Amino acid sequence: MSAARDRATGEAVDGLAEATLEWAEVVQRSTERVLRRLAGEYHEDEWGFDEEFAEAVFPVFEFLYRVWWRVEAVGVANLPAHGRALMVGNHAGSILPFDAVMIGTAVQKEHPLPRWVKAMVLNWAFDLPFVSYVMRRIGGIPANPANLTRLLEQDQPVMVFPEGAKGFGKPFSERYRLQRFGRGGFVEVALETGAPIVPVAVVGSEEIYPKLGESPLLARAIGAPYVPVTPTFPWLGPLGLVPLPSRWRIEFLEPIDLSGYGPGSSADRSLVFDISEQVRERIQDALYKGLVERGPAFL
Amino acid sequence: MAASRRVVIAGVATRWGTELARTLARDPGVEEIIGIDSTRPAADLGRTEFLEADIRNPVISRILPGLEPDVVVHCGILWYPDEDRPSRALHDINVIGTLQLLAACEKTTSLKALVGRGSAAIYGSAPGAPCFFTEDMSRQYPLRTRFQRDIGELEGYFENFARRRPEVTCCMLRFQVEIGPGVDDPFTRYLGLPVVPTQLGFDPRLQLLHPADATGALAAATLNPVRGPVNVSPDGAISLSRLLRLIGKPAVGLPPIVAGQAFKRIGRQLAAADMYRDAELLLRYGRGCDNRRLREEVGYELAFDAEGAVRDFAARAAGAQRLFPSPHPGSPVRVRS
Repeated sequence: MSAARDRATGEAVDGLAEATLEWAEVVQRSTERVLRRLAGEYHEDEWGFDEEFAEAVFPVFEFLYRVWWRVEAVGVANLPAHGRALMVGNHAGSILPFDAVMIGTAVQKEHPLPRWVKAMVLNWAFDLPFVSYVMRRIGGIPANPANLTRLLEQDQPVMVFPEGAKGFGKPFSERYRLQRFGRGGFVEVALETGAPIVPVAVVGSEEIYPKLGESPLLARAIGAPYVPVTPTFPWLGPLGLVPLPSRWRIEFLEPIDLSGYGPGSSADRSLVFDISEQVRERIQDALYKGLVERGPAFL
Repeated sequence: MAASRRVVIAGVATRWGTELARTLARDPGVEEIIGIDSTRPAADLGRTEFLEADIRNPVISRILPGLEPDVVVHCGILWYPDEDRPSRALHDINVIGTLQLLAACEKTTSLKALVGRGSAAIYGSAPGAPCFFTEDMSRQYPLRTRFQRDIGELEGYFENFARRRPEVTCCMLRFQVEIGPGVDDPFTRYLGLPVVPTQLGFDPRLQLLHPADATGALAAATLNPVRGPVNVSPDGAISLSRLLRLIGKPAVGLPPIVAGQAFKRIGRQLAAADMYRDAELLLRYGRGCDNRRLREEVGYELAFDAEGAVRDFAARAAGAQRLFPSPHPGSPVRVRS
């Protein structure tokens, strides 16, 4: 009896020692990494994307993805595993662009050959302290045709939200109704670079910060395009930034191959608008179907 | 293009002009080099002939045609004040000087090419700007600072000149800020501060040019000028925070309310004059340029990328002697036929 107890104690001690060793190793490794980073010895790409930084914050996004929003990703493999690709999504959220972050996380977690996805971000975000800094490090890039063209020419996967601020800041009552798709600039770039367009329909992002109104006074004070008022923001201060735990469903649709049109076709306005409208309709259809598939918003 | 027999360098007493003269002196294809400036350069110019003249003075119109230059390189566009060039005179030297020089060039029938050493400041620094400006994007943002407006005006003069004298190849080089050993300008002085002030919450992407590449690109463009503007910038980009870590400097983030005033005062201390405003914007939003035109059309192969230039600066700043010098001795110039 006592021998068995001794053995059990011994195992427990061994286990404890092992765990301690493991921890020591983890601490040592992270200390080394911090010291190395403090010496500036890490890699940044020419856009300012810092892979190590993105990996370090990834657990937070993973938590949001798995636990908080219980994201179901469908058809991730529709994103080509190699070469350029332009993902086009519906935009929502009104405070923070979590839809972009979750699309990126879905590619990282569910794609057979995960890649870091760059996102085109509203210019205004790069005028905000800290936001600009973090945004750039995790793959956000100011949205303009020059940047998009260069990224696609480098064979990178990029996501754009052609609705822009109109979609991002629309009131809760208009949720899942796609806004106008800008001037179709993304189609022009896709035609010029021959990149396939992968439409992405995100369901769930509209409920995280239900926008009930706006505060034009506050917006003017800080120079923002608008300041949303939600049930919690800005009433609860920073706590109001905690998104509501809705249930998400992200669907990657069949890619649209544009390489047959040739680079000169981007000057054809009606073609550009046709394709833009086609992409928009496909996302809108997928949104309606996705809403039914997902079921209740929060349960 | 064998248009570079006789080269006239205006502003030869500036560091850029002196380095260019020395580089060209090593090239047997360059027959004669004549340097013009209002003050005698401190360094020995070797076989370069020195001519003391002020390009702001109309006399230049009588001197220049007589020199029968094939190429005129304008290195007299100043970015920041010097001991003998106070900040008040900068606008005069840059704008009036260039006007007089161009007037003189119009009378010079032998001229085949005109090269200007301009600045990438013409693109500005803006939050939503393209990460890599190409040469056709110079009019995207309004020119906000004094220096930017001067540079914009100069480029306008160059364009006018190119229209009036279509047989002259008119090339305006747009240089990014330099970093490296031997460079003493407001930016390296800024990096030399015991604690480097930055703007809280902003971490700009910068492209800093190694002086060897700056001279090399200038020499390459002199020997093989192309029409229109050309960006001179390294590959890649580096963020300010990483730059400061690589050179081992502590940084302190200034909140936006005090940053403007602080940069103004620091700028005065570093003898940067009006440039503090350019620096304030550059150190908030950063700036990147596309260098494909330089590599493919001028045919210059850069020796350092953005990170390499900073590493070289850090290695020299720490007083370390490098066992092996740069694999590209002097200023690498490779001209495609």
